[in-house]
Amino acid sequence: MKLNLKLSASVVALSMIAGAAFAQEIDVKNPEWWQEAGKQFEGVTLHGVTESTPASNYISDVLAPKFEDLTGISVQIETTSWDQMYDKAIKDMEAKTGIYDMVYIEQDIVYAYLARNFLVDVTKALKENEGLNAPEYSEDNFTTFADNFRGKDGDLYGLPMEAFIKVYLYRKDLFDDPDIKAAFKEKTGKELKPATTHEDYAEIAQFFTDYGKEKGMDLWGTTAQAHTGHPASWYEYYESVAPTFGVYNWGIDADNNYAATVEHGGTMNSPEAKKALKWWLSMRDIAPPESVQSTWTEVATTFAAGRAAQGLVYGENAAWIATDESKSRVVGKVGVALPPLEKGVMEDAESGKGYIGYYDGGAFGLPVTSKNQEASLLFLQFMALPEVQEDWAAAGSRITLTSTYDTPKVKEIDEELGGYYTMLRDDGKLFKGAPEYPFHRQVIEATTPTFYQILTGGISVDDGLDQMAEKTEEELKSLGYRK
Amino acid sequence: MQSNRLGWILLAPTLVILFFFGVVPFFYVLWLSFHQWNPFAADPNVIFNGADNFRALVFDNGFLSSLGVTIAFVFFAVLSELVIGYALAQAFLKDFPGKAIFRTIHTLPLIMAPIIVGSIWKLMTTPSIGIIPSLLRSWFGYDLNIGTSAVAAFTVTVVMDIWHWTPLVTLTLIAALVSLPSDPFEQAQIDGANKRQIFWHITLPMIMPAVLATVFIRLMDALRTVDEVLMLTGGGPGSATRYLGVHIFKEVFPRTNYGYGSAISIIVLYLTIVACWLLYVSLIAPRNTKG
Repeated sequence: MKLNLKLSASVVALSMIAGAAFAQEIDVKNPEWWQEAGKQFEGVTLHGVTESTPASNYISDVLAPKFEDLTGISVQIETTSWDQMYDKAIKDMEAKTGIYDMVYIEQDIVYAYLARNFLVDVTKALKENEGLNAPEYSEDNFTTFADNFRGKDGDLYGLPMEAFIKVYLYRKDLFDDPDIKAAFKEKTGKELKPATTHEDYAEIAQFFTDYGKEKGMDLWGTTAQAHTGHPASWYEYYESVAPTFGVYNWGIDADNNYAATVEHGGTMNSPEAKKALKWWLSMRDIAPPESVQSTWTEVATTFAAGRAAQGLVYGENAAWIATDESKSRVVGKVGVALPPLEKGVMEDAESGKGYIGYYDGGAFGLPVTSKNQEASLLFLQFMALPEVQEDWAAAGSRITLTSTYDTPKVKEIDEELGGYYTMLRDDGKLFKGAPEYPFHRQVIEATTPTFYQILTGGISVDDGLDQMAEKTEEELKSLGYRK
Repeated sequence: MQSNRLGWILLAPTLVILFFFGVVPFFYVLWLSFHQWNPFAADPNVIFNGADNFRALVFDNGFLSSLGVTIAFVFFAVLSELVIGYALAQAFLKDFPGKAIFRTIHTLPLIMAPIIVGSIWKLMTTPSIGIIPSLLRSWFGYDLNIGTSAVAAFTVTVVMDIWHWTPLVTLTLIAALVSLPSDPFEQAQIDGANKRQIFWHITLPMIMPAVLATVFIRLMDALRTVDEVLMLTGGGPGSATRYLGVHIFKEVFPRTNYGYGSAISIIVLYLTIVACWLLYVSLIAPRNTKG
């Protein structure tokens, strides 16, 4: 009881300080140019809205004040929950109220925003305003992740501010412990090492959950982002788990009239999809009890609190989990690996036919309804300067410029994290962002009620996925995408 | 005549605000409810579709299930708030040590934003780390998990609503009780009436207008509960706490199904009016006709 209460306090405290302020100093090249450029916008206040993530918090806590010091342009960034961020941004752009000068565009929503012409063509706007082109800014600096935010004409409609992969994190200290290794070998006849297959992963998960129980520790074998009322669970299954079983693009075949059911050529209710969901649910059942109320944030907090031996964790949290003692109990004890896969998935990913996991991230875009577009262009370029990237990468585990990989702090953290940034650079191509659909939230909201029913056991996996596939086709027909 | 004009002048700002923030949005939602509009559809335009949205509602299992759990939620929450609120109001009429402090503390939940209330209850009920599951396990050996148990999640949302809104009921009923004349009570005591008879035949009839007003307010609020529940359970597990407000929120905002969401809003408004009318005719009208 006392232990639980202490733990409660610790986890709550960890959650609360996860977004705490950063205090790095940044030296910007050509400060005179920024001062001069900012003069014409005296008295202007820019408003932005973004999801509260380590990378976004860095913008509001470090970059915005620094930009204000340099240019005199005030920047107010609202960092809020993922749901609220979309709610606010979409309502503002739809109603053309012009409240926001910058909006966070997650990779999965950009196709919807482009389809609705919500965003300013940044490439074109900068060409038309040569006086606003910052000397150190160049589109060429970006990694290929920027391609997600290009329109059909190849122009950028958002400047990437975070990019990361959802990695397989594991507790190096536990995996390297001689006694635990011996116990695992005795129980399974195998060496304890990060899993490469789902069977191995499940075996390790079960072992650590049993181990935690036997030793009276608050330790479980795996994390699970399995909230029974929040789409985070839907995302974990469709974007991180199903692809590792060979079910790509949510099981919807865009080239085949957006078919979702096996009957019409989709894979949403295929045997592979059903196997994947059953496997994931079996992992959920041996994960910490809070998993059924966990979104991506709580999964990171659970791992940082030392309650899980392994798990799929959003890379944006990897750096602070591995290095920040004020927030994490597992500093220096974290390793990274590629997610476990079914046979044939790696070959699919290497050939470009499939992918092994989720490459997430986002950009800052300029709504066409903004009343301060020129001043916003300055801030967007400021966020993309090479000299502001190093500390930002350390704080938010995000890299959007190729040059950032070679900075000292990133190299240092890369070592502490067992090669996360190297993996992002070298293996990032094996991961993929959300499919290029303009109807993400619509399909998700249409199918989540059934998905939550599956999670709570109200319906079987087989029947549930059949219903979800049918519901998806129905929704796409109603939206006019499926003919 | 002059005082009449002054009255209108003083009332004008309120009427203007009410017109723009109440009447105009209402008619906009009413208009939208007869249209199909999803800005992320292949055709993002607003298309007139007659009564199709309302027709679809009748066969929408999600809506019907949401309506069912909402009625249960409203019944348990409002009834409990009324009973507890009355008991507390009676207690606050008596003197006891620390009454002023207790009364202040008891009123504090009222000033909290619903989203904060939801966050606090989420922290308190999260399995493994929340204080409520921890105490329940240690005292009764019961594992509370609102992420898996529909009954537990429903109960916690009801308890959260009671915790948040009972003070409002208490304050209203205190105001009603202190304003009662003492004569009828003294007369009843002289006539030998017991406490139960005094309550049923004197207190309750005399405070009935206040009770009814409170029930109307709480009924309307409970029917449109969104923030607290969305923060606490997200409507889950499954659809166990997907109350109408949450259902409408999910249809309108994430799903951007503006036309259909508007139709649900209109039906919920209609149901609220009907529920209030039924309460009125069953509790007040018979007494008025008895004259």
